[in-house]
Amino acid sequence: MHRSESRIGVAMISPWLVGFCVLTLFPFGASLYWSFCRYDLLSEPAWVGLDNYRRLAGELAEGGSFARALANTAYYALASVTLSVVLGITLASSLAWKVRGRAFYRTLCFLPTVVPTVAAAVLWLWLLDPQLGLINGFLQKLNLPAQGWFQSTSAAGWPPAWPGDHAGRVFGSKDGLVLMSLWGVGNLLVIYLAALSDIPKTLYEAAELDGAGRTRQFWHVTLPMLTPVVFFNVVMGLIQSVQAFTQIYLVSDGQGDPAGSTLTLSLHLFLTAFKDLDMGYASAMAWVLFVLVTLVTAWLFRTSRHWVHV
Amino acid sequence: MSNGRKCRVRATNQTNSIEIRTWPRSDISPESLQGRWLFSMTSIKPSAARFAAVAASVVFVALSACGATKAVGLREEVVFWHFWGGRDRPIVEEIVEHFNTSQTRYTVRAIAMPGSNLDLKFFLSVAGGDPPDLLNHDDPVVADWAHRGVLTPLDEIATADELSRLRAWLFPAALQLGSYHGKLYALCNGLDIRALYCNKTLLTEHGLDLPETIADLDHIAETIAPPGQTTSRLRMGYLPDPRRLWAWGVVFGGSFANLHAETAEQMITADSPEIVAALAWMADYGRRYGPSEVAAFRSGEQALTGAAFPLLADRRYAVVMDGQWRVRDLETARQANPSLDVFAVKPLPAPPGGRKNAGWVNGNFFVVPGRARHKQGAWEFMKYWSGFDGHEAGAAVACAAGGWIPASQHVVDQPAYQQALHRWPLLKLFVQLAASPDQVPVPPLPVGSLYYNEVVQAAQEVLYRGADPATELGRASNRVRARLSEVLDER
Repeated sequence: MHRSESRIGVAMISPWLVGFCVLTLFPFGASLYWSFCRYDLLSEPAWVGLDNYRRLAGELAEGGSFARALANTAYYALASVTLSVVLGITLASSLAWKVRGRAFYRTLCFLPTVVPTVAAAVLWLWLLDPQLGLINGFLQKLNLPAQGWFQSTSAAGWPPAWPGDHAGRVFGSKDGLVLMSLWGVGNLLVIYLAALSDIPKTLYEAAELDGAGRTRQFWHVTLPMLTPVVFFNVVMGLIQSVQAFTQIYLVSDGQGDPAGSTLTLSLHLFLTAFKDLDMGYASAMAWVLFVLVTLVTAWLFRTSRHWVHV
Repeated sequence: MSNGRKCRVRATNQTNSIEIRTWPRSDISPESLQGRWLFSMTSIKPSAARFAAVAASVVFVALSACGATKAVGLREEVVFWHFWGGRDRPIVEEIVEHFNTSQTRYTVRAIAMPGSNLDLKFFLSVAGGDPPDLLNHDDPVVADWAHRGVLTPLDEIATADELSRLRAWLFPAALQLGSYHGKLYALCNGLDIRALYCNKTLLTEHGLDLPETIADLDHIAETIAPPGQTTSRLRMGYLPDPRRLWAWGVVFGGSFANLHAETAEQMITADSPEIVAALAWMADYGRRYGPSEVAAFRSGEQALTGAAFPLLADRRYAVVMDGQWRVRDLETARQANPSLDVFAVKPLPAPPGGRKNAGWVNGNFFVVPGRARHKQGAWEFMKYWSGFDGHEAGAAVACAAGGWIPASQHVVDQPAYQQALHRWPLLKLFVQLAASPDQVPVPPLPVGSLYYNEVVQAAQEVLYRGADPATELGRASNRVRARLSEVLDER
């Protein structure tokens, strides 16, 4: 490549490059530095060494807000990612069948993803209201106990109060959040449908010749062939669920209510940084979160060779 | 914001050319821009038109970013941020308009901000070096912000005589709300007082009287919602709100801080026996009905339409603690439905050894950022709205329109406000309570917001999870002590 072409190339990507350096790289480096400082946005950062990380360890040991936020985030991420994968594959497999009105049903399943997050959060707040909500009303009609959803701390504490309280409530605040996250499963559905259409028909024909029924074909052909996409969705879903903020902020009164049962790490980080103006501590928290997500992602990559069919 | 400041770009279109140059900001106004951009896109080449459209967008964004202001002649413009919305917004706009009409020297430009993140926006503006000239807020942040050095002490903008008169003029609670370390940093323009709203009709139906004692309140709760019900409840006699430990703690004779103490350890006293006793009494409700039931019932209010008063929602409560603004709600509801239940208000009943006419108070206050450009203009507007220094009559009109509680008895005594009290008899009790020295705000400490939240969290743990009051308040206190100690060491 000629030097002039290189220059043109660099010039063409320079808007992105400048944006990346100023809006991503600099904050990334700055937050690492601030995590070793006491910093309140208004005065100069003061170097405090590992104090912020010691404070995090202390909170973790005594079960403080950070420990609760970590447990809540783990619960939410695990439940949300697992259920969205299961639901996504189930829906995609059902909608892959050549039935009348297939396009309509596919559109119907995708439609919720175009609803803005804020509108969806408010909608779910109403649907899952413990006393007046449609879902609890439906459960009660079936003679099942009303659940706590966003409003109850049952099954939302650490350790969880499973199998429920005296009123038969099994599901609590975080379960409401998980249910709400499944609202956006339409995005995964599109990816799974594309992956399903990529599976060679010859594999199904061979399985059929070997006497495999539909169930066996699903377990021994469809699922293994979907594992690369499942892997992708698990990694992306994990990152997204750790970053989830808007809907949690809205349904928890911006505080992780009730009793901290919806206080996730992203919310805790926001409150620490911008409400308590404890930017150094929040930066340390962000770095711990980053390292944790990296470790879990690395573990997923490491184990993927055993379960991802390439 | 002043006339002399320059906006970075200005574009003019002359036939096909786009000229970008600096221009005095005072010249940029909606009126001056109008017409200049009304060029015909058909008279220029398509490529030039596209470029012009892009350039116009850039300029529009740049102008927006600069916060283009309209020319204000020789008057200094005071930029005023506030959180007022809904039915209060027109009243605020009218106050600003009246002030601007009365002035030859200053003009106030009011900018409404979302209340939930007002403090965040304020800090970003301070960090960015472009704060407003004046801010109206209602969170317990004065001490924190003063400690961080972002506020102008009022003794820098008011004369010694004015300050001396102001201290005597304000209600004790209003004075406390604006003070930190003996200095005034904020001027209160309205108090928020809480009392018990009682549905007299519902109480009478159950053969109950208005609550005079804590035992009465418990009796009302148990009569209207007997414990032991297995299905979800839709009505409660009374149910304590975890946030209101700040009120009940004071009523039970406690104090949340010892401001004369030397160390952070001694300053925080949320785990004192009186406050633990108050929380233990609140916890009895959690035990009586089950923590999850209490949490579900309390949080179910989120689903009520708009900001509906729970007392009005299908007789959800017989007795509920709330602020003076609900008087207006009741009045509005009565106009819509003349056969509405009859309501009364009562002060919080004190247990033996407790404090009468006590409670937790907060309020709205003005602060002037340290780097504000027009502090004197801000001070004039603060006085005008709060009613200090001869503005009592005007302030009384505004408070009467909004159903607000003034920061001073001198405003209460004005004919306009007395008429409001006559119109809304329930408001009288709130005004009487406002003058009580036992109406106490969140202690003026640099960690006020954190302290408030920690105490509420502790109360939630007790009420919603059945935790032990002394243990939770001890933990919360220790966390606040640790943070306070750090903050006090920082500066």
